[in-house]
Amino acid sequence: MDRALSWLLGGRRALASHLLLAPASLWLIFLLVIPAGGLILLSFAKNGPYGAIVWEFGLQNYARAFDPKYLPVLIRTIMFAGATTVLCLILGYPVAYFLTFRAGRWRNALLVGLMVPFWSSCLVAYYSWMIVLGKEGLLNTALIRFGFLSEPIGFLYTPFAILLGLVYFYLPFTVLPLYASLDKVPRSVIEAAYDLGAGRWTAFWKVTLPLSTPGVVAGCILTFIPCLGDFLTVEILGGPRYYLLGNLISNQFMMAQDWPFGSALTSLLLAGLVGGLWLYQRWEKA
Amino acid sequence: MTKKKRGMGVYVAGLFGFLYLPLFVMFIFSFNDARRNVVWRGFTLKWYKALLHDTELMQAMLTSLELAAAAAAIAAVLGMLASYAMVKHKPFRGRGAYDALLNVPLMMPEVALGVGILTFLVRAGYELDFTALACSHALICLPYTVAAVRARLISLQESSLEDAAMDLGATEWQAFTKVTLPLSMPAIISGALLSFTVSFQDFVTSFFVAGIGIVTMPIKIYSMMKFGVTPEINALSVCLLLATFTLIGLNAAFADRPDEASRH
Amino acid sequence: MGEPISRRSFLKAAVMAPLLPSLLAACKRADDRKVVNFFNWSNYIGKDTLPGFSKRTGVEVRYDLFADEDEMFAKLRAGAKGYDLVVIGDYLIPRFRALNLSEPIPPGALKNLNNISARFRRPVYDPDEGSVPYMWGTTGIAYNKKKLKKPPTSWWDLWDPKYKDRVSMLDNVRDSIGVALLMLGIPPTTRDPEDFRKVREHLVKQKPLVKQYSSASYLNSLVSGEIDLAMTWSGDLFQTARENPDLDYVIPKEGTHLWVDCLTLLRGSRHREDTLRLIDYLLEPDVAAANANSVRYASPNEKALKFVDPILLKDPRVYPKGAMMKNLRLNAVLDPEQSELWNQTWADVKVA
Repeated sequence: MDRALSWLLGGRRALASHLLLAPASLWLIFLLVIPAGGLILLSFAKNGPYGAIVWEFGLQNYARAFDPKYLPVLIRTIMFAGATTVLCLILGYPVAYFLTFRAGRWRNALLVGLMVPFWSSCLVAYYSWMIVLGKEGLLNTALIRFGFLSEPIGFLYTPFAILLGLVYFYLPFTVLPLYASLDKVPRSVIEAAYDLGAGRWTAFWKVTLPLSTPGVVAGCILTFIPCLGDFLTVEILGGPRYYLLGNLISNQFMMAQDWPFGSALTSLLLAGLVGGLWLYQRWEKA
Repeated sequence: MTKKKRGMGVYVAGLFGFLYLPLFVMFIFSFNDARRNVVWRGFTLKWYKALLHDTELMQAMLTSLELAAAAAAIAAVLGMLASYAMVKHKPFRGRGAYDALLNVPLMMPEVALGVGILTFLVRAGYELDFTALACSHALICLPYTVAAVRARLISLQESSLEDAAMDLGATEWQAFTKVTLPLSMPAIISGALLSFTVSFQDFVTSFFVAGIGIVTMPIKIYSMMKFGVTPEINALSVCLLLATFTLIGLNAAFADRPDEASRH
Repeated sequence: MGEPISRRSFLKAAVMAPLLPSLLAACKRADDRKVVNFFNWSNYIGKDTLPGFSKRTGVEVRYDLFADEDEMFAKLRAGAKGYDLVVIGDYLIPRFRALNLSEPIPPGALKNLNNISARFRRPVYDPDEGSVPYMWGTTGIAYNKKKLKKPPTSWWDLWDPKYKDRVSMLDNVRDSIGVALLMLGIPPTTRDPEDFRKVREHLVKQKPLVKQYSSASYLNSLVSGEIDLAMTWSGDLFQTARENPDLDYVIPKEGTHLWVDCLTLLRGSRHREDTLRLIDYLLEPDVAAANANSVRYASPNEKALKFVDPILLKDPRVYPKGAMMKNLRLNAVLDPEQSELWNQTWADVKVA
């Protein structure tokens, strides 16, 4: 028994590696690969009466996805996800920088602190924002009390609220890879830049920033791709007036009962994911 | 120079304020003695008391806990085995593919995952029960356990303790059980705690995959929100927050344990 | 093999332990214990109704709620098994039959079916009476008396630009498309794609005014002032108005739909007998009246009317009379092709 286990752990034969990885890969295959494959297969089927599935294959669902009717949804989604990514990057980079270079003893505590809103479930977070942004909520009350407003503004159910919610939720997705990457930047290189006479800003711009590019790319991908599929933010903070791809997909599987079309849309999302993954792998190796 | 330092610190403080403000407001208003949660009317604990009496809610809490425990356990085991193979074994064909694949659940939009698993299970005729949901959660947690253990294994690798043990005559299995496993325990626990947290607060996947009767805490909050917003939701959210805080804190404690290996 | 293994197995055991009670519970759920699994709208039953049933018969009722008809439909469609009884809108009954989700109640199985008023017997959407009417109501306009100078009188008020960003519409195909067709004077049984194009344009034109599309949380928005006008179901509004007297309900002059929510037996029910007992119980006059008084919808139960709160009975908004009754029409029964057109149009409106 000891010998068999030792052989497994030794890893001198590739088979041992594959066997050890087998449980994890089984999971991935059954719960990730096969479902994804199933979705792609379903995306070519037709939707029958009352949502029954008709196995006649064709590209009609994909044609529909790019129909001018639905194109605004795709565009809107990309714009929201893009804006979120950019905002997270701009807002998050200084935080990552601070954590890496300035935080010192507080670094871990701050990291943990940064994570808490992220881990506390999007629902709780968005619900809290509802309380703050409502017409009778904290923000309006404060603005009126301090004389900036005479009447409450409807912050809720606007693109502003949606963007706020998205940035709030996805910020850690950006900050953490940035931090990981900045942490790896050898201080010696930055010191060398100073020794060569560079000012703080130049050193940052020409040395630190370029060296943190893998983190930037990783952060962007980890923010943009999941953000493309987001539907909860719009549902809770948006109305849902500003239908995004995630809402559309969710709708096909819930209300509209058009699983083939929903699968086609999801497949498009998966294509985006594969693209992102490929980019991520390339930059990881770099 | 000091001005810039302070400026950045102020900015970060401000950002943290942005992150915590809504949660803080929600916390305060969970004690508000008013049905409509806008004007402060007085302090009360009645919403928390209502939570305790709400059997459906307690059931949801229990379900979430069981789910998270199951998912964390499965993910920990899978993650341990997987990262061992990835780190300790000599490079084998297909390793890159595994690497990429293990990253996917992290990047995948949850709606795609939820919908995919739902479709697959329904068409395969499998019932959408607790096991299905636990396994789905385990999948989502997998990247976290893999990452946690992997980092540890790599640093252990550098201190060559396992090799030392084997030089002294131990087999791989003995080296594993007496050296590697104990030393990577903090990382495994850390990964398990992270998984627990991920599973506990997960909404999207649970929303699609949960069958009837499986109501997790986030799902309960969601339906409570749909029916109408009351301070009871605040109280529930605060409980969820506290649980999360505890778990993250615990995790930090485990992740930061002094590395015995590196002391040498 | 000392410490390390035992620590690890302890951890695994400690973590697996909580699973055991749930496994046991799962086994228990899947049996023929005396229980009825009842799936219903939120806020749609009297507080003491189900406990009363359990006390009398010893049968436990597991009561699950939904806030969204489409969510309910999606869940049942996805094959979620386990429910015995569900309350669904009249227009869903043919759909449930077509998809084999429901089972008709055998004729003669219910003692109290004759308590139902004549006008709800053998309805056009269910001539074989496989389902039982539970409550009926209307769809109208809710508004905040303090915020509006003049109360709304017409559906067109929801399209009035002066209410920009203060309106909410029900997130529901049947009501939204139905009302649009009504406003445009198009018969609901139309199959003409051109008609649906007009409906879509009409609803999309309204979109900038609409703050929310919601079937339940809009009530909170009304109360908190996010919106001042909403398309609503009668009873829901009255329940909210109980604590918020500023809110009022009006049936627009163009008329509206009278809908009936029905108790429907689900296929694969493992507790058929007890479920039928529950339905009979709900048909008893005092029970039906207690429900109606609590949820503020109209009861289709003739015998129950004498126990219904006289204030509600006299209220023409809850129990419309005479001329107004003539303006109310039952939902048209749609076939799959028509359903698809409705669904598609609504989906297009949401997406625009």
